[in-house]
Amino acid sequence: MTSAALVNSVLRFFGLLLAQIFVFNQVAWGWEGRDYLFIFIYPLFVAMLPLRSPRPVVILLGFLLGLSIDFFSETLGLHAGALAFTAYCRPLVLRMLQPRDGYNIKATPTINDMGSGWMFRYLGLMLLAHLLGFFLLQTFSVFFITDILIKTLLSLPASLVATGVLVLIFNPKA
Amino acid sequence: MGRLLRILIHSSGLFTFAAVELLCLFLIVNHNDTQRQIWAETKSVYGSSLAEFISDKLAFIDVGRENEILRRENAALLARIPGSGYDTSVDTLLVRDSVMQQRFTYLASRVVNKSPYGPYNTLVIDRGSNLGVERGQGVVADGGLLGIVSEVTPRHARVISILHLDTRISAGLDNNAFGTLRWNGRDPRRVTITDMPDYVPVAPNDTIYTTGYSNVYPTGLPIGTVESTEPLPGTGSQDLTVLLLNDPLTAGNGYVVRDLFKDELDQLNQVK
Repeated sequence: MTSAALVNSVLRFFGLLLAQIFVFNQVAWGWEGRDYLFIFIYPLFVAMLPLRSPRPVVILLGFLLGLSIDFFSETLGLHAGALAFTAYCRPLVLRMLQPRDGYNIKATPTINDMGSGWMFRYLGLMLLAHLLGFFLLQTFSVFFITDILIKTLLSLPASLVATGVLVLIFNPKA
Repeated sequence: MGRLLRILIHSSGLFTFAAVELLCLFLIVNHNDTQRQIWAETKSVYGSSLAEFISDKLAFIDVGRENEILRRENAALLARIPGSGYDTSVDTLLVRDSVMQQRFTYLASRVVNKSPYGPYNTLVIDRGSNLGVERGQGVVADGGLLGIVSEVTPRHARVISILHLDTRISAGLDNNAFGTLRWNGRDPRRVTITDMPDYVPVAPNDTIYTTGYSNVYPTGLPIGTVESTEPLPGTGSQDLTVLLLNDPLTAGNGYVVRDLFKDELDQLNQVK
Protein backbone atom coordinates (compact mmCIF):
# COMPACT_ATOMS: atom_id res chain seq x y z
CA MET A 1 0.00 0.00 0.00
CA THR A 2 1.60 3.27 -1.02
CA SER A 3 1.58 6.20 1.36
CA ALA A 4 -0.82 8.14 -0.89
CA ALA A 5 -3.29 5.25 -0.77
CA LEU A 6 -2.90 5.06 3.01
CA VAL A 7 -3.57 8.77 3.51
CA ASN A 8 -6.49 8.72 1.09
CA SER A 9 -8.04 5.71 2.82
CA VAL A 10 -7.79 7.34 6.24
CA LEU A 11 -9.34 10.54 4.88
CA ARG A 12 -12.09 8.56 3.16
CA PHE A 13 -12.80 6.66 6.38
CA PHE A 14 -13.55 9.78 8.37
CA GLY A 15 -15.01 11.79 5.49
CA LEU A 16 -17.51 9.10 4.55
CA LEU A 17 -18.31 8.47 8.23
CA LEU A 18 -19.19 12.13 8.80
CA ALA A 19 -21.03 12.52 5.49
CA GLN A 20 -23.08 9.37 6.12
CA ILE A 21 -24.02 10.32 9.67
CA PHE A 22 -24.77 13.99 9.21
CA VAL A 23 -26.09 14.14 5.65
CA PHE A 24 -27.19 10.85 4.15
CA ASN A 25 -28.65 9.28 7.29
CA GLN A 26 -31.17 12.14 7.33
CA VAL A 27 -32.40 11.14 3.87
CA ALA A 28 -35.06 8.45 3.94
CA TRP A 29 -38.21 8.14 1.91
CA GLY A 30 -41.11 5.76 2.15
CA TRP A 31 -44.83 5.44 2.57
CA GLU A 32 -47.30 4.31 5.23
CA GLY A 33 -44.89 5.35 7.94
CA ARG A 34 -42.10 3.04 6.85
CA ASP A 35 -38.89 3.98 5.07
CA TYR A 36 -38.01 2.22 1.86
CA LEU A 37 -35.35 4.41 0.27
CA PHE A 38 -31.99 4.85 1.96
CA ILE A 39 -28.78 6.33 0.63
CA PHE A 40 -25.56 4.59 1.65
CA ILE A 41 -22.24 6.05 0.51
CA TYR A 42 -19.87 4.47 3.03
CA PRO A 43 -19.41 1.18 1.08
CA LEU A 44 -17.24 3.41 -1.15
CA PHE A 45 -14.54 3.12 1.52
CA VAL A 46 -14.34 -0.65 1.22
CA ALA A 47 -14.67 -0.50 -2.56
CA MET A 48 -11.74 1.89 -2.99
CA LEU A 49 -9.19 0.15 -0.77
CA PRO A 50 -6.14 -0.89 -2.86
CA LEU A 51 -6.75 -4.09 -4.87
CA ARG A 52 -3.99 -6.04 -3.15
CA SER A 53 -5.10 -5.38 0.44
CA PRO A 54 -5.26 -8.64 2.43
CA ARG A 55 -8.81 -9.94 2.74
CA PRO A 56 -8.96 -10.12 6.59
CA VAL A 57 -7.75 -6.51 6.81
CA VAL A 58 -10.47 -5.34 4.40
CA ILE A 59 -13.11 -7.20 6.43
CA LEU A 60 -11.88 -5.79 9.74
CA LEU A 61 -11.73 -2.24 8.35
CA GLY A 62 -15.24 -2.59 6.98
CA PHE A 63 -16.44 -3.87 10.35
CA LEU A 64 -14.77 -0.90 12.07
CA LEU A 65 -16.37 1.71 9.78
CA GLY A 66 -19.77 0.04 10.04
CA LEU A 67 -19.51 -0.07 13.82
CA SER A 68 -18.62 3.63 13.93
CA ILE A 69 -21.71 4.45 11.88
CA ASP A 70 -23.79 2.18 14.10
CA PHE A 71 -22.72 4.08 17.19
CA PHE A 72 -24.21 7.26 15.77
CA SER A 73 -27.37 5.78 14.28
CA GLU A 74 -28.35 3.58 17.26
CA THR A 75 -28.42 0.38 15.23
CA LEU A 76 -25.53 -1.44 16.88
CA GLY A 77 -24.29 -4.25 14.61
CA LEU A 78 -26.44 -3.58 11.53
CA HIS A 79 -24.10 -1.46 9.43
CA ALA A 80 -21.09 -3.34 10.78
CA GLY A 81 -22.45 -6.73 9.77
CA ALA A 82 -23.53 -5.51 6.34
CA LEU A 83 -20.22 -3.81 5.56
CA ALA A 84 -18.23 -6.84 6.73
CA PHE A 85 -20.34 -8.89 4.33
CA THR A 86 -19.62 -6.42 1.52
CA ALA A 87 -15.91 -6.60 2.28
CA TYR A 88 -16.11 -10.39 2.17
CA CYS A 89 -17.84 -10.21 -1.25
CA ARG A 90 -15.28 -7.77 -2.70
CA PRO A 91 -12.88 -10.39 -4.12
CA LEU A 92 -15.82 -12.20 -5.75
CA VAL A 93 -17.01 -8.97 -7.39
CA LEU A 94 -13.47 -8.19 -8.52
CA ARG A 95 -13.14 -11.66 -10.04
CA MET A 96 -16.45 -11.19 -11.85
CA LEU A 97 -15.28 -7.92 -13.42
CA GLN A 98 -11.70 -9.04 -14.09
CA PRO A 99 -10.31 -7.70 -17.40
CA ARG A 100 -9.21 -10.36 -19.91
CA ASP A 101 -5.53 -10.15 -18.98
CA GLY A 102 -6.02 -9.75 -15.24
CA TYR A 103 -5.43 -6.77 -13.03
CA ASN A 104 -2.28 -4.72 -13.40
CA ILE A 105 -0.12 -5.16 -10.30
CA LYS A 106 -0.15 -1.45 -9.56
CA ALA A 107 -3.82 -0.91 -10.46
CA THR A 108 -6.15 0.78 -7.98
CA PRO A 109 -9.95 0.69 -8.23
CA THR A 110 -10.30 4.21 -9.65
CA ILE A 111 -11.66 5.76 -12.84
CA ASN A 112 -8.11 6.68 -13.89
CA ASP A 113 -6.86 3.12 -13.83
CA MET A 114 -9.93 1.08 -14.75
CA GLY A 115 -12.21 3.45 -16.71
CA SER A 116 -15.58 4.87 -15.75
CA GLY A 117 -17.65 1.99 -17.19
CA TRP A 118 -15.79 -0.58 -15.08
CA MET A 119 -15.98 1.68 -12.03
CA PHE A 120 -19.77 2.02 -12.17
CA ARG A 121 -20.35 -1.69 -12.75
CA TYR A 122 -18.03 -2.35 -9.78
CA LEU A 123 -19.79 0.16 -7.52
CA GLY A 124 -23.19 -1.17 -8.60
CA LEU A 125 -22.32 -4.76 -7.66
CA MET A 126 -20.72 -3.73 -4.37
CA LEU A 127 -23.74 -1.62 -3.43
CA LEU A 128 -26.08 -4.45 -4.43
CA ALA A 129 -24.25 -6.85 -2.10
CA HIS A 130 -24.23 -4.26 0.67
CA LEU A 131 -27.89 -3.32 0.39
CA LEU A 132 -29.06 -6.95 0.27
CA GLY A 133 -26.93 -7.76 3.31
CA PHE A 134 -28.06 -4.67 5.19
CA PHE A 135 -31.78 -5.09 4.60
CA LEU A 136 -31.59 -8.78 5.41
CA LEU A 137 -30.04 -7.88 8.78
CA GLN A 138 -32.52 -5.03 9.24
CA THR A 139 -35.66 -7.12 8.68
CA PHE A 140 -33.86 -10.12 10.25
CA SER A 141 -36.00 -12.70 8.49
CA VAL A 142 -36.30 -14.10 4.97
CA PHE A 143 -40.09 -13.93 5.44
CA PHE A 144 -39.82 -10.25 4.50
CA ILE A 145 -38.18 -11.01 1.16
CA THR A 146 -40.51 -8.62 -0.72
CA ASP A 147 -39.61 -5.82 1.69
CA ILE A 148 -35.92 -6.55 1.22
CA LEU A 149 -36.25 -6.50 -2.58
CA ILE A 150 -38.35 -3.30 -2.69
CA LYS A 151 -35.90 -1.51 -0.39
CA THR A 152 -32.93 -2.71 -2.42
CA LEU A 153 -34.54 -1.73 -5.74
CA LEU A 154 -35.29 1.77 -4.47
CA SER A 155 -32.04 2.35 -2.58
CA LEU A 156 -29.63 0.96 -5.19
CA PRO A 157 -30.09 3.69 -7.86
CA ALA A 158 -30.08 6.47 -5.27
CA SER A 159 -26.92 5.18 -3.56
CA LEU A 160 -25.25 4.53 -6.91
CA VAL A 161 -25.93 8.09 -8.06
CA ALA A 162 -24.63 9.53 -4.78
CA THR A 163 -21.43 7.46 -4.78
CA GLY A 164 -20.91 8.04 -8.52
CA VAL A 165 -21.18 11.80 -8.09
CA LEU A 166 -18.72 11.67 -5.18
CA VAL A 167 -16.23 9.62 -7.23
CA LEU A 168 -16.57 12.00 -10.21
CA ILE A 169 -16.15 15.11 -8.06
CA PHE A 170 -13.11 13.97 -6.09
CA ASN A 171 -11.71 11.65 -8.77
CA PRO A 172 -9.01 10.20 -6.47
CA LYS A 173 -5.80 8.80 -7.96
CA ALA A 174 -5.38 6.11 -5.29
CA MET B 1 -0.01 -29.52 11.27
CA GLY B 2 1.61 -27.57 8.48
CA ARG B 3 -1.30 -28.46 6.24
CA LEU B 4 -3.79 -27.27 8.83
CA LEU B 5 -1.88 -24.00 9.14
CA ARG B 6 -1.91 -23.59 5.37
CA ILE B 7 -5.69 -24.08 5.29
CA LEU B 8 -6.07 -21.51 8.06
CA ILE B 9 -3.95 -18.94 6.23
CA HIS B 10 -5.51 -19.70 2.86
CA SER B 11 -9.06 -19.07 4.07
CA SER B 12 -8.26 -16.43 6.66
CA GLY B 13 -10.80 -14.17 4.95
CA LEU B 14 -13.58 -16.65 5.56
CA PHE B 15 -12.66 -17.10 9.22
CA THR B 16 -12.39 -13.35 9.82
CA PHE B 17 -15.73 -12.87 8.10
CA ALA B 18 -17.41 -15.60 10.16
CA ALA B 19 -16.05 -14.23 13.44
CA VAL B 20 -16.98 -10.64 12.64
CA GLU B 21 -20.45 -11.61 11.45
CA LEU B 22 -21.16 -13.68 14.57
CA LEU B 23 -20.10 -10.71 16.69
CA CYS B 24 -22.44 -8.48 14.67
CA LEU B 25 -25.38 -10.86 15.07
CA PHE B 26 -24.74 -10.90 18.80
CA LEU B 27 -24.69 -7.09 18.89
CA ILE B 28 -27.82 -6.82 16.75
CA VAL B 29 -29.81 -9.24 18.87
CA ASN B 30 -28.71 -7.53 22.07
CA HIS B 31 -29.17 -3.89 21.10
CA ASN B 32 -32.07 -3.70 18.62
CA ASP B 33 -35.65 -4.29 19.75
CA THR B 34 -37.23 -5.63 16.54
CA GLN B 35 -34.45 -8.09 15.90
CA ARG B 36 -34.43 -9.23 19.50
CA GLN B 37 -38.16 -10.00 19.35
CA ILE B 38 -37.78 -11.95 16.12
CA TRP B 39 -34.89 -13.90 17.63
CA ALA B 40 -36.78 -14.69 20.84
CA GLU B 41 -39.82 -15.82 18.87
CA THR B 42 -37.75 -18.03 16.58
CA LYS B 43 -35.96 -19.52 19.55
CA SER B 44 -39.18 -20.30 21.40
CA VAL B 45 -40.86 -21.81 18.31
CA TYR B 46 -38.00 -24.10 17.29
CA GLY B 47 -36.36 -24.47 20.69
CA SER B 48 -39.35 -25.95 22.48
CA SER B 49 -40.10 -28.51 19.78
CA LEU B 50 -36.43 -29.50 19.77
CA ALA B 51 -36.41 -29.82 23.55
CA GLU B 52 -39.58 -31.89 23.37
CA PHE B 53 -38.07 -34.15 20.73
CA ILE B 54 -34.99 -34.74 22.86
CA SER B 55 -36.92 -35.40 26.06
CA ASP B 56 -39.15 -37.83 24.16
CA LYS B 57 -36.15 -39.73 22.83
CA LEU B 58 -34.57 -39.93 26.27
CA ALA B 59 -37.65 -41.16 28.14
CA PHE B 60 -37.96 -44.92 28.49
CA ILE B 61 -40.92 -46.02 26.45
CA ASP B 62 -42.81 -47.84 29.17
CA VAL B 63 -42.05 -45.37 31.94
CA GLY B 64 -43.30 -42.53 29.76
CA ARG B 65 -46.60 -44.32 29.14
CA GLU B 66 -47.10 -45.20 32.80
CA ASN B 67 -46.34 -41.62 33.73
CA GLU B 68 -48.86 -40.32 31.21
CA ILE B 69 -51.56 -42.52 32.75
CA LEU B 70 -50.69 -41.35 36.26
CA ARG B 71 -50.73 -37.72 35.27
CA ARG B 72 -54.15 -38.06 33.66
CA GLU B 73 -55.40 -39.70 36.80
CA ASN B 74 -53.93 -36.89 38.88
CA ALA B 75 -55.69 -34.34 36.73
CA ALA B 76 -58.98 -36.17 37.16
CA LEU B 77 -58.49 -36.37 40.93
CA LEU B 78 -57.54 -32.72 41.24
CA ALA B 79 -60.74 -31.80 39.44
CA ARG B 80 -62.70 -33.55 42.17
CA ILE B 81 -61.34 -31.78 45.22
CA PRO B 82 -63.90 -29.41 46.78
CA GLY B 83 -62.14 -26.26 45.60
CA SER B 84 -62.81 -27.03 41.96
CA GLY B 85 -66.52 -27.50 42.40
CA TYR B 86 -69.28 -24.95 42.31
CA ASP B 87 -72.23 -25.49 44.60
CA THR B 88 -75.41 -25.33 42.54
CA SER B 89 -77.81 -26.03 45.37
CA VAL B 90 -79.92 -23.05 46.40
CA ASP B 91 -80.55 -24.10 49.95
CA THR B 92 -77.37 -24.55 51.93
CA LEU B 93 -79.00 -27.03 54.26
CA LEU B 94 -80.16 -29.48 51.65
CA VAL B 95 -78.59 -31.73 49.01
CA ARG B 96 -75.29 -29.93 49.11
CA ASP B 97 -73.21 -33.07 48.97
CA SER B 98 -74.66 -34.46 45.76
CA VAL B 99 -75.12 -31.49 43.44
CA MET B 100 -71.79 -30.10 42.37
CA GLN B 101 -71.23 -28.51 39.01
CA GLN B 102 -67.72 -28.60 37.66
CA ARG B 103 -66.03 -25.21 37.78
CA PHE B 104 -62.29 -25.84 37.44
CA THR B 105 -60.70 -28.45 35.24
CA TYR B 106 -57.03 -29.43 35.24
CA LEU B 107 -54.98 -30.26 32.19
CA ALA B 108 -51.78 -32.23 32.72
CA SER B 109 -48.76 -30.85 30.93
CA ARG B 110 -45.05 -31.36 30.87
CA VAL B 111 -42.44 -28.64 31.22
CA VAL B 112 -40.34 -28.76 28.06
CA ASN B 113 -38.26 -25.61 28.40
CA LYS B 114 -37.11 -23.36 31.22
CA SER B 115 -35.32 -20.07 31.22
CA PRO B 116 -32.03 -20.05 33.09
CA TYR B 117 -32.56 -19.00 36.70
CA GLY B 118 -32.77 -15.23 37.01
CA PRO B 119 -35.11 -12.48 38.13
CA TYR B 120 -37.54 -13.13 35.25
CA ASN B 121 -38.17 -16.87 35.18
CA THR B 122 -40.41 -18.32 32.50
CA LEU B 123 -41.05 -21.82 31.27
CA VAL B 124 -42.70 -23.53 28.34
CA ILE B 125 -45.24 -26.35 28.67
CA ASP B 126 -46.28 -28.75 25.95
CA ARG B 127 -49.98 -27.90 25.88
CA GLY B 128 -51.42 -25.04 23.85
CA SER B 129 -54.52 -23.52 22.32
CA ASN B 130 -55.37 -26.83 20.63
CA LEU B 131 -56.34 -28.12 24.07
CA GLY B 132 -57.96 -24.93 25.31
CA VAL B 133 -55.02 -23.30 27.08
CA GLU B 134 -55.50 -19.53 27.14
CA ARG B 135 -53.65 -16.46 28.29
CA GLY B 136 -54.15 -15.81 31.98
CA GLN B 137 -54.83 -19.36 33.12
CA GLY B 138 -53.00 -20.55 36.19
CA VAL B 139 -50.63 -23.49 36.40
CA VAL B 140 -50.22 -25.55 39.58
CA ALA B 141 -47.65 -28.23 40.40
CA ASP B 142 -46.56 -30.48 43.22
CA GLY B 143 -49.09 -29.14 45.70
CA GLY B 144 -48.21 -25.51 45.08
CA LEU B 145 -48.35 -22.84 42.41
CA LEU B 146 -46.17 -22.79 39.30
CA GLY B 147 -47.19 -19.71 37.32
CA ILE B 148 -49.57 -18.03 34.90
CA VAL B 149 -49.86 -18.64 31.15
CA SER B 150 -48.68 -15.64 29.16
CA GLU B 151 -48.27 -16.68 25.53
CA VAL B 152 -50.04 -19.49 23.69
CA THR B 153 -49.18 -21.27 20.46
CA PRO B 154 -51.21 -24.21 19.06
CA ARG B 155 -49.05 -26.82 20.82
CA HIS B 156 -47.14 -24.95 23.50
CA ALA B 157 -47.66 -22.23 26.03
CA ARG B 158 -45.27 -19.96 27.81
CA VAL B 159 -45.76 -19.66 31.56
CA ILE B 160 -44.60 -16.78 33.70
CA SER B 161 -43.31 -18.49 36.83
CA ILE B 162 -44.36 -17.23 40.23
CA LEU B 163 -40.63 -16.62 40.59
CA HIS B 164 -40.87 -13.63 38.21
CA LEU B 165 -40.59 -10.02 39.31
CA ASP B 166 -43.82 -9.09 37.50
CA THR B 167 -45.98 -11.82 39.02
CA ARG B 168 -48.93 -10.63 41.13
CA ILE B 169 -51.25 -13.21 42.67
CA SER B 170 -54.05 -12.69 45.15
CA ALA B 171 -53.30 -14.75 48.26
CA GLY B 172 -54.60 -14.79 51.79
CA LEU B 173 -55.09 -16.54 55.11
CA ASP B 174 -57.99 -18.78 55.97
CA ASN B 175 -59.61 -15.93 57.97
CA ASN B 176 -60.25 -14.18 54.63
CA ALA B 177 -57.60 -11.48 55.06
CA PHE B 178 -55.75 -11.21 51.78
CA GLY B 179 -52.89 -9.45 50.07
CA THR B 180 -50.78 -9.59 46.96
CA LEU B 181 -48.19 -12.29 46.46
CA ARG B 182 -45.04 -11.25 44.67
CA TRP B 183 -41.40 -12.31 44.45
CA ASN B 184 -38.49 -10.04 45.27
CA GLY B 185 -36.03 -11.87 43.02
CA ARG B 186 -33.68 -13.04 45.75
CA ASP B 187 -34.57 -16.41 47.19
CA PRO B 188 -36.37 -19.00 45.04
CA ARG B 189 -37.82 -20.70 48.13
CA ARG B 190 -39.50 -17.60 49.60
CA VAL B 191 -42.09 -15.16 48.29
CA THR B 192 -43.55 -12.04 49.86
CA ILE B 193 -47.14 -11.03 50.51
CA THR B 194 -47.70 -7.29 50.51
CA ASP B 195 -50.75 -5.08 51.15
CA MET B 196 -51.91 -7.28 54.03
CA PRO B 197 -53.62 -5.04 56.67
CA ASP B 198 -51.50 -4.80 59.80
CA TYR B 199 -54.35 -5.38 62.27
CA VAL B 200 -54.79 -8.93 60.98
CA PRO B 201 -53.15 -11.30 63.47
CA VAL B 202 -50.65 -13.52 61.70
CA ALA B 203 -48.60 -16.17 63.43
CA PRO B 204 -45.58 -17.99 62.04
CA ASN B 205 -46.49 -21.26 60.29
CA ASP B 206 -49.96 -20.00 59.32
CA THR B 207 -50.87 -21.43 55.91
CA ILE B 208 -51.31 -19.11 52.94
CA TYR B 209 -53.99 -20.02 50.42
CA THR B 210 -55.06 -18.69 47.05
CA THR B 211 -58.15 -16.50 47.31
CA GLY B 212 -59.57 -17.17 43.87
CA TYR B 213 -60.50 -13.50 43.52
CA SER B 214 -58.65 -13.14 40.21
CA ASN B 215 -60.22 -16.23 38.57
CA VAL B 216 -56.76 -17.62 37.90
CA TYR B 217 -56.58 -20.22 40.64
CA PRO B 218 -59.36 -21.97 42.56
CA THR B 219 -60.07 -20.81 46.07
CA GLY B 220 -58.15 -22.44 48.88
CA LEU B 221 -55.14 -23.97 47.18
CA PRO B 222 -52.28 -23.96 49.71
CA ILE B 223 -49.26 -21.92 48.63
CA GLY B 224 -46.94 -21.93 51.60
CA THR B 225 -46.46 -21.14 55.27
CA VAL B 226 -45.72 -17.82 56.91
CA GLU B 227 -42.13 -17.56 58.05
CA SER B 228 -42.04 -14.05 59.45
CA THR B 229 -44.08 -10.84 59.46
CA GLU B 230 -42.86 -7.30 59.16
CA PRO B 231 -45.24 -4.39 59.80
CA LEU B 232 -44.61 -1.37 57.58
CA PRO B 233 -44.97 1.74 59.78
CA GLY B 234 -47.27 4.44 58.41
CA THR B 235 -48.87 2.35 55.67
CA GLY B 236 -51.26 0.28 57.73
CA SER B 237 -50.03 -2.87 56.08
CA GLN B 238 -47.55 -5.61 56.79
CA ASP B 239 -45.28 -7.78 54.67
CA LEU B 240 -45.30 -11.54 55.15
CA THR B 241 -42.40 -13.72 54.15
CA VAL B 242 -43.81 -17.01 52.92
CA LEU B 243 -41.98 -20.31 52.59
CA LEU B 244 -43.25 -22.05 49.44
CA LEU B 245 -44.60 -25.59 49.70
CA ASN B 246 -43.17 -26.60 46.35
CA ASP B 247 -40.03 -25.79 44.41
CA PRO B 248 -41.07 -24.10 41.16
CA LEU B 249 -37.54 -24.23 39.79
CA THR B 250 -37.41 -28.02 39.63
CA ALA B 251 -41.00 -28.70 38.58
CA GLY B 252 -41.27 -31.17 35.71
CA ASN B 253 -45.05 -31.33 35.45
CA GLY B 254 -47.71 -28.67 35.64
CA TYR B 255 -51.48 -28.70 35.68
CA VAL B 256 -53.16 -25.91 33.77
CA VAL B 257 -56.20 -24.65 35.66
CA ARG B 258 -59.14 -23.79 33.47
CA ASP B 259 -61.99 -21.77 34.95
CA LEU B 260 -65.15 -22.76 33.11
CA PHE B 261 -66.97 -19.71 34.51
CA LYS B 262 -64.31 -17.20 33.52
CA ASP B 263 -66.33 -15.60 30.70
CA GLU B 264 -69.31 -15.17 32.97
CA LEU B 265 -67.24 -13.61 35.74
CA ASP B 266 -65.44 -11.34 33.27
CA GLN B 267 -68.80 -9.95 32.14
CA LEU B 268 -69.47 -8.86 35.70
CA ASN B 269 -66.18 -7.02 35.88
CA GLN B 270 -66.83 -5.07 32.69
CA VAL B 271 -69.64 -3.05 34.28
CA LYS B 272 -68.08 -0.11 36.06
